[in-house]
Amino acid sequence: MYTLLLLSGGVGTRMQNAVPKQYLLLAGKPVIMHILERVDQIDSISDMVIVCAPEYESHIKQMLQQYGVVKPVRFAPAGATRQQSVFNGLRLVESEDVILHESARPFVKVEDFERLIGASHRNATFGTSIPFTVVKGHERFEGLLTRSELVNVQLPQKFETRLLKEAHKKAIEEGREFTEDGSMIFHYFPDTYVEICEGMDYDIKLTTRIDMLAGEQIYDDVFRRRK
Amino acid sequence: MGTCVITGAGSGIGKATAIKLSECGYFDSFALVGRNQSDLEATRDSMGAHASNVRIFNIDLSYPERIPEVVSAIVEQMGHIECLLNIAGYTDPTPLLATSLESFELTYKVNVFAPFMFMRECVKYMKQRGGKILNVASTAGMTPRPGWLSYASSKAALISMSDTLTAELSEYGIMVYCVSPGRCATKLRRRLAPEEDPSTIMQPEDVAEVICRLVNPSEACLDGQNIVIRKVIKK
Repeated sequence: MYTLLLLSGGVGTRMQNAVPKQYLLLAGKPVIMHILERVDQIDSISDMVIVCAPEYESHIKQMLQQYGVVKPVRFAPAGATRQQSVFNGLRLVESEDVILHESARPFVKVEDFERLIGASHRNATFGTSIPFTVVKGHERFEGLLTRSELVNVQLPQKFETRLLKEAHKKAIEEGREFTEDGSMIFHYFPDTYVEICEGMDYDIKLTTRIDMLAGEQIYDDVFRRRK
Repeated sequence: MGTCVITGAGSGIGKATAIKLSECGYFDSFALVGRNQSDLEATRDSMGAHASNVRIFNIDLSYPERIPEVVSAIVEQMGHIECLLNIAGYTDPTPLLATSLESFELTYKVNVFAPFMFMRECVKYMKQRGGKILNVASTAGMTPRPGWLSYASSKAALISMSDTLTAELSEYGIMVYCVSPGRCATKLRRRLAPEEDPSTIMQPEDVAEVICRLVNPSEACLDGQNIVIRKVIKK
Protein backbone atom coordinates (compact mmCIF):
# COMPACT_ATOMS: atom_id res chain seq x y z
CA MET A 1 0.00 0.00 0.00
CA TYR A 2 1.00 3.58 -0.60
CA THR A 3 0.68 6.81 1.32
CA LEU A 4 0.09 9.98 -0.66
CA LEU A 5 2.35 12.78 0.52
CA LEU A 6 0.81 15.96 -0.84
CA LEU A 7 2.87 19.13 -0.76
CA SER A 8 0.59 22.06 -0.19
CA GLY A 9 2.77 24.59 1.57
CA GLY A 10 2.91 27.21 -1.18
CA VAL A 11 1.97 30.75 -0.24
CA GLY A 12 1.05 31.89 -3.73
CA THR A 13 3.20 35.01 -4.02
CA ARG A 14 3.68 34.55 -7.76
CA MET A 15 -0.09 34.39 -8.19
CA GLN A 16 -0.37 37.95 -6.78
CA ASN A 17 -3.22 36.74 -4.65
CA ALA A 18 -3.75 36.83 -0.89
CA VAL A 19 -5.07 33.28 -1.01
CA PRO A 20 -2.50 30.58 -1.89
CA LYS A 21 -3.20 29.04 -5.28
CA GLN A 22 -4.07 25.60 -3.93
CA TYR A 23 -7.14 27.11 -2.27
CA LEU A 24 -8.33 29.13 -5.27
CA LEU A 25 -11.22 27.77 -7.30
CA LEU A 26 -10.44 25.92 -10.50
CA ALA A 27 -13.47 24.75 -12.46
CA GLY A 28 -15.55 25.62 -9.42
CA LYS A 29 -13.54 23.51 -6.98
CA PRO A 30 -10.58 24.37 -4.73
CA VAL A 31 -7.38 23.37 -6.53
CA ILE A 32 -6.25 21.05 -3.73
CA MET A 33 -9.53 19.11 -3.79
CA HIS A 34 -9.06 17.99 -7.39
CA ILE A 35 -6.25 15.64 -6.35
CA LEU A 36 -7.66 14.68 -2.95
CA GLU A 37 -10.99 13.61 -4.46
CA ARG A 38 -9.33 11.48 -7.14
CA VAL A 39 -6.80 9.87 -4.82
CA ASP A 40 -9.68 9.01 -2.49
CA GLN A 41 -10.90 6.61 -5.21
CA ILE A 42 -7.61 4.68 -5.53
CA ASP A 43 -7.64 1.43 -3.58
CA SER A 44 -3.87 0.96 -3.38
CA ILE A 45 -3.41 4.30 -1.62
CA SER A 46 -4.28 3.76 2.03
CA ASP A 47 -3.91 7.23 3.48
CA MET A 48 -2.71 10.74 2.89
CA VAL A 49 -0.32 13.16 4.51
CA ILE A 50 -0.84 16.81 3.63
CA VAL A 51 2.02 19.20 4.21
CA CYS A 52 0.67 22.71 4.63
CA ALA A 53 0.94 25.91 6.61
CA PRO A 54 -0.67 25.08 9.98
CA GLU A 55 -3.16 27.95 9.64
CA TYR A 56 -4.76 26.18 6.65
CA GLU A 57 -5.19 22.82 8.39
CA SER A 58 -8.70 23.49 9.65
CA HIS A 59 -9.72 24.88 6.26
CA ILE A 60 -8.53 21.70 4.53
CA LYS A 61 -10.26 19.53 7.14
CA GLN A 62 -13.50 21.34 6.46
CA MET A 63 -13.12 20.79 2.70
CA LEU A 64 -12.33 17.10 3.20
CA GLN A 65 -15.58 16.77 5.11
CA GLN A 66 -17.57 18.77 2.54
CA TYR A 67 -16.29 16.69 -0.35
CA GLY A 68 -16.79 13.42 1.49
CA VAL A 69 -13.14 12.26 1.40
CA VAL A 70 -12.98 9.04 3.40
CA LYS A 71 -9.30 8.04 3.46
CA PRO A 72 -7.42 8.92 6.67
CA VAL A 73 -5.58 12.23 6.40
CA ARG A 74 -2.82 13.56 8.62
CA PHE A 75 -1.10 16.92 8.53
CA ALA A 76 2.53 17.98 8.71
CA PRO A 77 3.78 21.57 8.88
CA ALA A 78 5.34 23.06 5.77
CA GLY A 79 9.06 23.74 6.05
CA ALA A 80 11.10 26.72 4.89
CA THR A 81 12.08 24.86 1.72
CA ARG A 82 10.39 22.25 -0.44
CA GLN A 83 12.90 19.67 0.78
CA GLN A 84 12.12 20.42 4.42
CA SER A 85 8.42 20.10 3.66
CA VAL A 86 8.92 16.66 2.14
CA PHE A 87 11.01 15.64 5.14
CA ASN A 88 8.35 16.86 7.57
CA GLY A 89 5.70 14.87 5.71
CA LEU A 90 7.85 11.75 5.47
CA ARG A 91 8.05 11.57 9.25
CA LEU A 92 4.35 10.66 9.27
CA VAL A 93 4.54 8.11 6.45
CA GLU A 94 4.30 4.54 7.68
CA SER A 95 3.60 2.71 4.41
CA GLU A 96 6.49 0.98 2.69
CA ASP A 97 6.00 3.14 -0.38
CA VAL A 98 5.07 6.76 -0.81
CA ILE A 99 3.59 8.74 -3.66
CA LEU A 100 4.81 12.29 -3.73
CA HIS A 101 2.68 14.94 -5.34
CA GLU A 102 1.97 18.63 -5.06
CA SER A 103 -1.44 20.27 -4.87
CA ALA A 104 -0.50 22.85 -7.50
CA ARG A 105 -0.61 20.04 -10.08
CA PRO A 106 -4.32 19.23 -10.11
CA PHE A 107 -4.50 17.70 -13.58
CA VAL A 108 -3.60 14.10 -12.82
CA LYS A 109 -6.19 11.43 -13.57
CA VAL A 110 -6.91 8.37 -11.45
CA GLU A 111 -5.53 6.32 -14.38
CA ASP A 112 -2.27 8.31 -14.28
CA PHE A 113 -1.79 7.50 -10.59
CA GLU A 114 -2.57 3.88 -11.34
CA ARG A 115 -0.04 3.84 -14.18
CA LEU A 116 2.64 5.19 -11.83
CA ILE A 117 1.75 2.62 -9.18
CA GLY A 118 1.93 -0.10 -11.82
CA ALA A 119 5.37 1.00 -13.10
CA SER A 120 7.89 -1.83 -13.14
CA HIS A 121 10.30 -0.25 -10.69
CA ARG A 122 9.66 0.77 -7.12
CA ASN A 123 11.07 4.25 -7.60
CA ALA A 124 9.53 6.09 -10.51
CA THR A 125 8.54 9.50 -11.74
CA PHE A 126 6.66 10.95 -14.64
CA GLY A 127 8.72 12.88 -17.13
CA THR A 128 8.30 14.49 -20.51
CA SER A 129 10.76 15.44 -23.21
CA ILE A 130 11.69 19.11 -23.40
CA PRO A 131 10.30 20.86 -26.46
CA PHE A 132 12.54 23.91 -26.14
CA THR A 133 16.27 24.61 -25.92
CA VAL A 134 17.88 24.99 -22.50
CA VAL A 135 21.39 26.31 -21.90
CA LYS A 136 23.53 26.90 -18.84
CA GLY A 137 24.01 30.52 -17.93
CA HIS A 138 22.71 33.56 -16.17
CA GLU A 139 23.43 36.81 -17.91
CA ARG A 140 25.40 35.07 -20.67
CA PHE A 141 25.76 31.62 -22.16
CA GLU A 142 28.01 29.49 -19.97
CA GLY A 143 27.49 26.05 -21.43
CA LEU A 144 25.33 24.00 -23.74
CA LEU A 145 22.95 21.18 -22.83
CA THR A 146 21.82 18.51 -25.24
CA ARG A 147 18.04 18.65 -25.37
CA SER A 148 17.65 15.00 -26.31
CA GLU A 149 19.43 14.04 -23.07
CA LEU A 150 17.10 16.07 -20.84
CA VAL A 151 13.80 15.26 -19.19
CA ASN A 152 11.23 17.57 -17.65
CA VAL A 153 10.51 15.83 -14.33
CA GLN A 154 6.82 15.80 -13.44
CA LEU A 155 5.05 14.83 -10.28
CA PRO A 156 3.55 12.53 -9.08
CA GLN A 157 6.45 10.25 -8.22
CA LYS A 158 6.70 7.09 -6.17
CA PHE A 159 9.52 6.01 -3.89
CA GLU A 160 10.44 3.33 -1.44
CA THR A 161 9.78 5.18 1.82
CA ARG A 162 12.84 3.83 3.63
CA LEU A 163 15.15 4.89 0.79
CA LEU A 164 13.67 8.37 0.53
CA LYS A 165 13.90 8.92 4.28
CA GLU A 166 17.52 7.84 4.21
CA ALA A 167 18.31 10.16 1.30
CA HIS A 168 16.76 13.07 3.17
CA LYS A 169 18.82 12.33 6.27
CA LYS A 170 21.98 12.34 4.18
CA ALA A 171 20.99 15.62 2.54
CA ILE A 172 20.39 17.20 5.95
CA GLU A 173 23.75 15.94 7.21
CA GLU A 174 25.49 17.43 4.18
CA GLY A 175 23.40 20.60 4.16
CA ARG A 176 22.40 20.01 0.52
CA GLU A 177 19.18 21.22 -1.00
CA PHE A 178 17.46 19.36 -3.82
CA THR A 179 14.47 20.76 -5.66
CA GLU A 180 13.11 17.32 -6.50
CA ASP A 181 13.30 13.91 -4.84
CA GLY A 182 14.15 11.63 -7.78
CA SER A 183 17.35 13.63 -8.16
CA MET A 184 18.08 13.18 -4.47
CA ILE A 185 17.65 9.40 -4.66
CA PHE A 186 19.80 9.30 -7.79
CA HIS A 187 22.50 11.35 -6.08
CA TYR A 188 22.76 9.30 -2.91
CA PHE A 189 21.89 5.90 -4.34
CA PRO A 190 23.19 5.97 -7.92
CA ASP A 191 22.64 2.24 -8.33
CA THR A 192 18.92 2.62 -7.71
CA TYR A 193 16.84 2.48 -10.85
CA VAL A 194 14.58 5.53 -10.92
CA GLU A 195 12.17 4.82 -13.73
CA ILE A 196 10.83 7.60 -15.92
CA CYS A 197 7.25 6.99 -17.03
CA GLU A 198 5.89 8.88 -20.02
CA GLY A 199 4.41 12.05 -18.57
CA MET A 200 1.28 13.98 -19.47
CA ASP A 201 1.22 17.29 -21.34
CA TYR A 202 -1.77 18.35 -19.22
CA ASP A 203 0.05 17.82 -15.91
CA ILE A 204 1.12 21.44 -15.58
CA LYS A 205 2.04 23.14 -12.34
CA LEU A 206 -0.13 26.14 -11.54
CA THR A 207 2.31 28.89 -10.82
CA THR A 208 1.13 32.12 -12.38
CA ARG A 209 -2.25 33.73 -13.04
CA ILE A 210 -1.94 32.71 -16.68
CA ASP A 211 -1.62 29.09 -15.54
CA MET A 212 -4.98 29.41 -13.79
CA LEU A 213 -6.59 30.68 -16.98
CA ALA A 214 -4.99 27.91 -19.02
CA GLY A 215 -5.97 25.48 -16.28
CA GLU A 216 -9.67 26.11 -16.87
CA GLN A 217 -9.21 25.04 -20.48
CA ILE A 218 -7.17 22.01 -19.52
CA TYR A 219 -9.83 20.93 -17.02
CA ASP A 220 -12.51 21.36 -19.65
CA ASP A 221 -10.61 19.28 -22.16
CA VAL A 222 -9.29 16.52 -19.89
CA PHE A 223 -11.80 16.10 -17.09
CA ARG A 224 -15.18 17.45 -18.05
CA ARG A 225 -17.04 14.55 -19.60
CA ARG A 226 -19.74 16.61 -21.25
CA LYS A 227 -18.42 17.70 -24.64
CA MET B 1 -30.80 -0.94 -11.73
CA GLY B 2 -30.56 1.29 -8.72
CA THR B 3 -32.32 3.79 -6.53
CA CYS B 4 -34.28 6.80 -7.70
CA VAL B 5 -35.22 9.55 -5.24
CA ILE B 6 -38.39 11.44 -6.15
CA THR B 7 -39.48 14.55 -4.26
CA GLY B 8 -43.09 15.63 -4.45
CA ALA B 9 -44.03 12.02 -5.13
CA GLY B 10 -47.41 12.31 -3.45
CA SER B 11 -49.22 14.16 -6.22
CA GLY B 12 -49.09 15.73 -9.68
CA ILE B 13 -45.96 15.31 -11.79
CA GLY B 14 -44.09 13.56 -8.96
CA LYS B 15 -46.74 10.91 -8.56
CA ALA B 16 -47.15 10.40 -12.30
CA THR B 17 -43.38 10.09 -12.71
CA ALA B 18 -43.06 7.55 -9.90
CA ILE B 19 -45.76 5.40 -11.46
CA LYS B 20 -44.39 5.73 -14.99
CA LEU B 21 -40.81 5.01 -13.91
CA SER B 22 -41.91 1.92 -12.00
CA GLU B 23 -43.14 0.53 -15.33
CA CYS B 24 -39.92 1.33 -17.23
CA GLY B 25 -37.46 -0.91 -15.37
CA TYR B 26 -34.59 1.59 -15.19
CA PHE B 27 -34.66 1.46 -11.40
CA ASP B 28 -35.81 -1.19 -8.96
CA SER B 29 -35.73 0.94 -5.82
CA PHE B 30 -37.60 4.15 -5.21
CA ALA B 31 -37.44 6.64 -2.36
CA LEU B 32 -40.71 8.55 -2.40
CA VAL B 33 -40.28 11.88 -0.64
CA GLY B 34 -43.13 14.15 0.36
CA ARG B 35 -45.16 15.75 3.06
CA ASN B 36 -48.32 13.70 3.10
CA GLN B 37 -47.95 10.08 4.21
CA SER B 38 -51.26 8.84 2.80
CA ASP B 39 -50.60 10.47 -0.59
CA LEU B 40 -47.18 8.80 -0.74
CA GLU B 41 -48.73 5.47 0.21
CA ALA B 42 -51.27 5.90 -2.58
CA THR B 43 -48.43 6.52 -5.04
CA ARG B 44 -46.58 3.46 -3.79
CA ASP B 45 -49.68 1.32 -4.16
CA SER B 46 -50.09 2.44 -7.77
CA MET B 47 -46.53 1.61 -8.80
CA GLY B 48 -45.69 -1.18 -11.20
CA ALA B 49 -43.90 -4.48 -10.94
CA HIS B 50 -40.37 -3.14 -11.47
CA ALA B 51 -40.55 -1.24 -8.19
CA SER B 52 -39.42 -4.07 -5.96
CA ASN B 53 -38.25 -1.79 -3.16
CA VAL B 54 -40.28 1.35 -2.48
CA ARG B 55 -39.81 3.35 0.69
CA ILE B 56 -41.50 6.45 1.93
CA PHE B 57 -39.66 9.38 3.46
CA ASN B 58 -41.85 11.96 5.09
CA ILE B 59 -40.55 15.51 5.12
CA ASP B 60 -41.98 18.98 4.87
CA LEU B 61 -39.65 20.69 2.40
CA SER B 62 -40.29 24.06 3.98
CA TYR B 63 -37.67 22.81 6.46
CA PRO B 64 -34.78 22.17 4.07
CA GLU B 65 -32.32 21.94 6.96
CA ARG B 66 -33.81 18.50 7.67
CA ILE B 67 -32.85 17.15 4.24
CA PRO B 68 -29.35 15.84 5.14
CA GLU B 69 -30.97 13.55 7.69
CA VAL B 70 -33.45 12.26 5.08
CA VAL B 71 -30.73 11.60 2.49
CA SER B 72 -28.65 9.77 5.09
CA ALA B 73 -31.68 7.63 5.90
CA ILE B 74 -32.27 6.90 2.21
CA VAL B 75 -28.66 5.73 1.76
CA GLU B 76 -28.78 3.74 4.96
CA GLN B 77 -31.95 1.94 3.96
CA MET B 78 -31.45 1.67 0.19
CA GLY B 79 -27.67 1.45 -0.16
CA HIS B 80 -26.99 4.04 -2.83
CA ILE B 81 -28.55 6.70 -5.05
CA GLU B 82 -28.39 6.68 -8.84
CA CYS B 83 -30.99 9.28 -9.68
CA LEU B 84 -32.54 12.33 -8.00
CA LEU B 85 -35.72 13.94 -9.29
CA ASN B 86 -36.48 17.31 -7.71
CA ILE B 87 -40.15 17.63 -8.54
CA ALA B 88 -41.77 19.11 -5.43
CA GLY B 89 -42.95 22.68 -5.88
CA TYR B 90 -44.86 25.38 -4.06
CA THR B 91 -46.56 28.59 -5.08
CA ASP B 92 -48.38 31.46 -3.48
CA PRO B 93 -48.99 33.73 -6.46
CA THR B 94 -49.11 37.36 -5.44
CA PRO B 95 -47.99 40.67 -6.94
CA LEU B 96 -45.00 42.48 -5.46
CA LEU B 97 -46.95 44.80 -3.16
CA ALA B 98 -48.93 41.94 -1.72
CA THR B 99 -46.02 39.55 -1.24
CA SER B 100 -44.90 39.04 2.33
CA LEU B 101 -41.36 38.11 3.21
CA GLU B 102 -42.69 34.92 4.79
CA SER B 103 -44.45 33.86 1.60
CA PHE B 104 -41.41 34.69 -0.53
CA GLU B 105 -39.17 32.73 1.83
CA LEU B 106 -41.46 29.72 1.86
CA THR B 107 -41.55 29.59 -1.94
CA TYR B 108 -37.76 29.72 -2.09
CA LYS B 109 -37.39 27.12 0.64
CA VAL B 110 -39.41 24.57 -1.28
CA ASN B 111 -38.48 25.51 -4.85
CA VAL B 112 -34.81 26.49 -4.45
CA PHE B 113 -33.34 25.59 -1.05
CA ALA B 114 -34.80 22.08 -0.95
CA PRO B 115 -33.51 21.10 -4.43
CA PHE B 116 -30.15 22.64 -3.52
CA MET B 117 -29.96 20.63 -0.31
CA PHE B 118 -31.10 17.41 -2.00
CA MET B 119 -28.51 17.87 -4.74
CA ARG B 120 -25.72 18.69 -2.31
CA GLU B 121 -26.45 15.75 -0.07
CA CYS B 122 -27.12 13.21 -2.84
CA VAL B 123 -24.01 14.20 -4.81
CA LYS B 124 -21.90 13.21 -1.80
CA TYR B 125 -23.02 9.65 -2.48
CA MET B 126 -23.49 9.81 -6.26
CA LYS B 127 -20.07 11.22 -7.13
CA GLN B 128 -18.25 7.91 -6.85
CA ARG B 129 -20.42 6.16 -9.45
CA GLY B 130 -22.13 8.91 -11.42
CA GLY B 131 -25.85 9.25 -11.97
CA LYS B 132 -28.58 11.62 -13.04
CA ILE B 133 -30.28 14.62 -11.47
CA LEU B 134 -33.40 16.14 -12.95
CA ASN B 135 -34.96 19.39 -11.77
CA VAL B 136 -38.49 20.34 -12.64
CA ALA B 137 -38.59 24.11 -13.21
CA SER B 138 -41.31 25.90 -15.16
CA THR B 139 -41.86 28.07 -18.20
CA ALA B 140 -42.70 30.69 -15.56
CA GLY B 141 -38.96 30.81 -14.86
CA MET B 142 -38.22 31.97 -18.40
CA THR B 143 -40.74 34.71 -19.12
CA PRO B 144 -42.14 37.66 -17.17
CA ARG B 145 -45.18 36.67 -15.11
CA PRO B 146 -46.69 39.70 -13.34
CA GLY B 147 -48.27 38.52 -10.13
CA TRP B 148 -46.14 35.38 -9.85
CA LEU B 149 -42.99 37.04 -8.53
CA SER B 150 -41.82 34.48 -6.00
CA TYR B 151 -42.73 31.40 -8.04
CA ALA B 152 -41.33 32.63 -11.38
CA SER B 153 -38.08 33.88 -9.88
CA SER B 154 -37.60 30.69 -7.87
CA LYS B 155 -37.97 28.61 -11.03
CA ALA B 156 -35.50 30.90 -12.82
CA ALA B 157 -33.08 30.13 -10.00
CA LEU B 158 -33.60 26.41 -10.48
CA ILE B 159 -32.95 26.69 -14.21
CA SER B 160 -29.71 28.55 -13.50
CA MET B 161 -28.64 26.08 -10.81
CA SER B 162 -29.16 23.20 -13.22
CA ASP B 163 -27.03 24.91 -15.81
CA THR B 164 -24.18 25.57 -13.39
CA LEU B 165 -24.23 22.11 -11.91
CA THR B 166 -24.18 20.45 -15.31
CA ALA B 167 -20.65 21.77 -15.69
CA GLU B 168 -19.64 21.43 -12.06
CA LEU B 169 -20.68 17.78 -11.70
CA SER B 170 -19.58 16.58 -15.13
CA GLU B 171 -16.27 15.17 -13.87
CA TYR B 172 -18.20 12.86 -11.55
CA GLY B 173 -20.25 11.47 -14.41
CA ILE B 174 -23.38 13.09 -12.96
CA MET B 175 -25.70 14.47 -15.62
CA VAL B 176 -28.04 17.32 -14.67
CA TYR B 177 -31.29 17.81 -16.54
CA CYS B 178 -33.82 20.58 -16.28
CA VAL B 179 -37.34 20.54 -17.63
CA SER B 180 -39.76 23.45 -17.72
CA PRO B 181 -43.30 22.29 -18.18
CA GLY B 182 -45.85 24.75 -19.48
CA ARG B 183 -49.40 24.67 -18.20
CA CYS B 184 -49.96 21.30 -16.56
CA ALA B 185 -53.01 20.07 -14.69
CA THR B 186 -51.61 19.88 -11.16
CA LYS B 187 -52.80 21.17 -7.79
CA LEU B 188 -50.16 23.86 -8.07
CA ARG B 189 -51.52 25.00 -11.43
CA ARG B 190 -54.94 25.26 -9.88
CA ARG B 191 -53.59 27.91 -7.50
CA LEU B 192 -51.98 29.83 -10.33
CA ALA B 193 -55.00 29.66 -12.64
CA PRO B 194 -58.11 28.68 -10.65
CA GLU B 195 -60.51 29.42 -13.49
CA GLU B 196 -58.84 27.10 -15.96
CA ASP B 197 -60.42 23.77 -16.96
CA PRO B 198 -57.70 21.19 -16.15
CA SER B 199 -58.91 18.83 -18.84
CA THR B 200 -57.93 21.34 -21.53
CA ILE B 201 -54.21 21.47 -20.69
CA MET B 202 -51.22 19.12 -20.48
CA GLN B 203 -51.52 16.32 -17.91
CA PRO B 204 -48.88 15.24 -15.33
CA GLU B 205 -48.54 11.94 -17.20
CA ASP B 206 -47.33 13.83 -20.28
CA VAL B 207 -44.53 15.44 -18.30
CA ALA B 208 -43.74 12.12 -16.60
CA GLU B 209 -43.34 10.55 -20.04
CA VAL B 210 -40.64 13.09 -20.97
CA ILE B 211 -38.90 12.72 -17.60
CA CYS B 212 -38.74 8.95 -18.08
CA ARG B 213 -37.11 9.41 -21.47
CA LEU B 214 -34.48 11.70 -19.96
CA VAL B 215 -33.59 9.46 -17.03
CA ASN B 216 -33.33 6.44 -19.30
CA PRO B 217 -29.70 5.33 -18.73
CA SER B 218 -29.09 5.31 -22.47
CA GLU B 219 -29.96 9.02 -22.78
CA ALA B 220 -26.69 10.97 -22.90
CA CYS B 221 -27.25 14.11 -24.96
CA LEU B 222 -29.96 16.25 -23.43
CA ASP B 223 -28.53 17.30 -20.08
CA GLY B 224 -27.47 20.87 -19.39
CA GLN B 225 -30.31 22.58 -21.17
CA ASN B 226 -33.66 23.82 -20.08
CA ILE B 227 -36.09 21.56 -21.90
CA VAL B 228 -39.50 23.12 -22.34
CA ILE B 229 -42.38 20.66 -22.21
CA ARG B 230 -45.57 21.79 -23.88
CA LYS B 231 -48.32 19.74 -25.40
CA VAL B 232 -50.36 20.38 -28.48
CA ILE B 233 -53.97 20.17 -27.33
CA LYS B 234 -56.60 19.15 -29.83
CA LYS B 235 -59.52 21.57 -29.86
